[in-house]
Amino acid sequence: MPKLKTIEDLQQIREQARRDLQVRTETGTRIIVGMGTCGIAAGARETMHAILEELKRRGMEAHVTTVGCIGMCSREPLVDIEQAGRPRVTYCNVHPDMVPRLIEEHLVHGRVVQEWALGRVPTEGIGQG
Amino acid sequence: MTEPLYRANVLVCGGTGCEASGSAGTYHKLLEEVQRQGLANEVQVIHTGCRGFCAMGPIVIIYPDGIFYCRVQDSDVPLLVEETLVKGRVVPRLTYKEPSSHQAVPFYSEIPFYKKQMRIILRNCGMIDPENIEEYIARDGYQALTKVLTTMSPQDVYEEIKNSKLRGRGGAGFLTGLKWEFTARAPGDIKYVVCNADEGDPGAFMDRSVIEGDPHSLIEGMIICAYAIGAREGYIYCRAEYPLAIKRLHIAIAQAEEYGLLGDHILGTDFCFHLHVKEGAGAFVCGEETALLASIEGRRGEPRPRPPFPAVKGLWGRPTNLNNVKSYASVPQIILHGADWFANIGSPRSPGTAIFALTGKVNNTGLVEVPMGITLGEIIFDIGGGIPKGKAFKAVQTGGPLGGCIPAEHLNVQVDFDSLKEVGAVMGSGGMIVVDEDTCMVEFARFFLTFAAAESCGKCVPCRMGGKRLLEVLTRITTGQGRLEDLKLIREIAAGMETGSLCALGQLTPGPINAALRYFEEEFIRHIVDKRCPAGVCKELVRARCTNACPADVDVPSYVALVAQGRYAEGLEIHRRTNPFPLICGRVCPAFCQTRCRRGDIDEPIAIRAVKRFMADQELAHPWTPPLLDSPKTDRVAVVGAGPAGLTAALRLAQQGYRVTVFEKLPVAGGMMAVGIPEYRLPRDILNVEIDNIRRAGVEIRCNQALGRDFTLDSLFAEGYRAVVLAIGAHQSGRLRIAGEDQAGVVHGVDFLRAVALGQPPDLTGRRVGVVGGGNVAIDAARTAWRLGASQVHILYRRRREDMPAYKEEIQAAEEEGILFHFLTNPTRVLGDGQVTGVECLKHTLGEFDRSGRRRPVPLAGSEFVIELDMLIPAIGQTPDLTGLQDQVAVRRDNTFQVNDALATSRPGVFAAGDAVTGPATVVEAVAQGNAVARAVDHYLRTGQVEKIVTLPGYEVVNQPFNLDDYAEARPPRMPELPVAERRNFQEVELGLDEQAAQEECKRCLRCDLEWLEEMGLAFEPVPQRELAEIGFS
Repeated sequence: MPKLKTIEDLQQIREQARRDLQVRTETGTRIIVGMGTCGIAAGARETMHAILEELKRRGMEAHVTTVGCIGMCSREPLVDIEQAGRPRVTYCNVHPDMVPRLIEEHLVHGRVVQEWALGRVPTEGIGQG
Repeated sequence: MTEPLYRANVLVCGGTGCEASGSAGTYHKLLEEVQRQGLANEVQVIHTGCRGFCAMGPIVIIYPDGIFYCRVQDSDVPLLVEETLVKGRVVPRLTYKEPSSHQAVPFYSEIPFYKKQMRIILRNCGMIDPENIEEYIARDGYQALTKVLTTMSPQDVYEEIKNSKLRGRGGAGFLTGLKWEFTARAPGDIKYVVCNADEGDPGAFMDRSVIEGDPHSLIEGMIICAYAIGAREGYIYCRAEYPLAIKRLHIAIAQAEEYGLLGDHILGTDFCFHLHVKEGAGAFVCGEETALLASIEGRRGEPRPRPPFPAVKGLWGRPTNLNNVKSYASVPQIILHGADWFANIGSPRSPGTAIFALTGKVNNTGLVEVPMGITLGEIIFDIGGGIPKGKAFKAVQTGGPLGGCIPAEHLNVQVDFDSLKEVGAVMGSGGMIVVDEDTCMVEFARFFLTFAAAESCGKCVPCRMGGKRLLEVLTRITTGQGRLEDLKLIREIAAGMETGSLCALGQLTPGPINAALRYFEEEFIRHIVDKRCPAGVCKELVRARCTNACPADVDVPSYVALVAQGRYAEGLEIHRRTNPFPLICGRVCPAFCQTRCRRGDIDEPIAIRAVKRFMADQELAHPWTPPLLDSPKTDRVAVVGAGPAGLTAALRLAQQGYRVTVFEKLPVAGGMMAVGIPEYRLPRDILNVEIDNIRRAGVEIRCNQALGRDFTLDSLFAEGYRAVVLAIGAHQSGRLRIAGEDQAGVVHGVDFLRAVALGQPPDLTGRRVGVVGGGNVAIDAARTAWRLGASQVHILYRRRREDMPAYKEEIQAAEEEGILFHFLTNPTRVLGDGQVTGVECLKHTLGEFDRSGRRRPVPLAGSEFVIELDMLIPAIGQTPDLTGLQDQVAVRRDNTFQVNDALATSRPGVFAAGDAVTGPATVVEAVAQGNAVARAVDHYLRTGQVEKIVTLPGYEVVNQPFNLDDYAEARPPRMPELPVAERRNFQEVELGLDEQAAQEECKRCLRCDLEWLEEMGLAFEPVPQRELAEIGFS
């Protein structure tokens, strides 16, 4: 039985999904890892593994999700950190050995690691013109 | 998930960090206080795990308002509950104040890479999890489908797409809406929607990224298309080489079916559509629509003639709409925002955005989406960040292997379907490969041709045979076996393929070669006639990139290898075979060899110039007597001008046995080496050592002999000279063409430097001097003025520092010496009343690209400012001084001599060489000209014929007695220099390497020359310079 039987069902799912996303962004910590082919080729799988390990080690809860390519392939692996409604910050060229410092400084102390930061992503998306 | 019962959720972090700061107490106090205030049924207090931000704990987040409180102690709780939960007011003291570190990070819209982009098709890529349909739905996914199903008829849909003027993004640019209409109107009740996701172009990954990052946008577009044309089934033809894209497609389709968005009765309506994925099997030709359809049908991918077009007769003979991934992905946005919205983006005849995969020699490689109509230069330089390592842009290949290259002169072309066609390129699917000065355009064209020829399906003769033959010709050219007739042959085969091939693969295969020939014919001719690859790529023609880059073909690998072993005299002898000025060039050469050194690809290039100087300095005690290479002759040759071109020509002719006299206008010999290059770069006594070597070869140099005044061309021939070489250089300075430039205090750069060199330096103590220009003459003049005591020296240049033609080390030295640079500045008026008092300048900004690929400076209105000066030195370029030659010999517009490829002028028996032919250049280029003109004059005197003598450089083979691996980590030495405080004089600034440093530096050389011998299967034996005619090349 399909999950959506009518158009109204679609609208409900949409509202729910938006709210879920809002909860997650406003109350939790989201770590977003670019996992297009460019990211994978640059080592994003290893970076993600390092992130999961580090979070486990510190007993931290964060929603780790993967996305496709955001276009800046030359700077992959790209990792975004979004904390409780604070601006989502993109870090570039994130190799596994950089992960502990990122978690320590950004997640724990709330300080952006300037030398690795690329940009802030507005919630509606980038460069819509 | 939220629970509708509670109106607020209070989340208290219970992670270790927050526990340590007392969050347990906070949690319990909250429970207590909520209870006490009677809010227990309305407010839920939850203990969560750690979400980070431990440094600011205990953290309390109140939801749904999203209030973020930090450092909440139990003593803060009553206030918090009272204010926020009861009265709905935020407590400022407890809120989080964003540290400046977040603010310092720029928004994406401010980053150069994203600033000019407009991400419509790519709106979700990088923002959503492509394996979760709900994230797509949350960002308005399937809303367009809803709109279509509830408010639009099939005809409404294709009319809307027609009105948007969307053109197919696969590259052909056919109006998508029109195609949909044809398919909709075609008779038949079984129709298909097919997506071309084959993306065979090397370097293209636009479609792949869309599928990997936002597969539902494609699916939604196809569903809408199916509705519009009346199809119930669709296929996505995705190449098998994209496993991740295929995986995500399958997941997306399965999820869409699960959610009732695909399959029967979509969203409860009568509309049904089933989507399948068909994997491609490695054939580029299956990107062509009819071949693609054949492949889906299970047949071999071969195109068929059209008409009938797939819209009428496609898959299994049924009407089929076939579009590219990006075309379908644009559809939901067009439906949601309207045709007008889309039609107003981009250019009128190519609306919307285009996605490009920017790759190659560019800093910011990646995927960009820009409005159509943006210029090529903006994409490559503004978005792409320009060329790495400061190399020069050469061309950009658009449209993949069937496209064409676009050189610097067209950087202002707008990127859209029609404008690109006018410059011989193709938009294609969106691949953009940037190449720089180190790319050989002949080899580049051959690379694409190899690919296209291999991918020919073989069905039609023009493509099957044409591609093969074309490849044979190009391969011959790149291996030094080319003939001039080949250019005509290429054009014939190309025409045949373009008109006769069955599909676009064959028709467009010649595209890259046609474009390369159109813009880089000179490079082809160098490969064919001179057997040279200027970029240093074609293996057979490039023994080593260093010697290949040297205009005079100096055997760099051999002398560097000899210096490593302390065999300086042998190295010098080899050097002098082609360049008689190692002492000079070791101090002043721009060292093209270094810029191409292969070691430079790994860490730093070999410091070849420093090594050369060291080698030459060792033998100062042993003056060189150039050897006689042929029997003495009675023929006399006159050379006018004792600069590097004239002296080299004179030397080579003397070595062939001729009696040579050099006539020099100035009191000293050397040309620009004597009166242009200041002594702190090239000491006079060093220069004279090398001029004396020329005299020792039997050349007579007569100074104070001016053409026109003391002799003429006629008088020379009357006296019995059988040939004349005009090597008069370019000593006339270009005027500024501004008011006030003809007054005292304005002294042109070359005149200023000449006066200093000839012993008449002005005393500039305490004076303020301004120099206009950005080349070496400008820097030389500025650094000389500083040494003569100027209190201030300004350089005014109309472009930026990185655009200056002067040598980077010279610019840096000038900065160290305190010279002030004003960039993007041009003088507009020289102030003063007969004597310079200052200069009025105007600031500029950078506008469009000019033919050299640099941005043209554009004046900034109202930015005038004055620099007070006592002296102004224009140094914006030089031309030959033609006094004494009025109309006797043909010249070009810039006063350089018009010569054929044998360097012969319009007057019989009169040849020319050096800056007088090329315009201002370098010593080594003048030497190369001197060598060439000597060969031509020799040939003329022997045979009476004027012909270019093409030679293949000879080489030595020097052994390698040490292990290169020991030098893997070695770095070049620093050149010792005079400290700035000790430089206010004309002593040489560079002090030269010591023996150990020089030898160790030579050992870093990778010996590409030995590798070449092995790869070519040649004997490890020296080979002398040979004339091509001897080898039997036509």
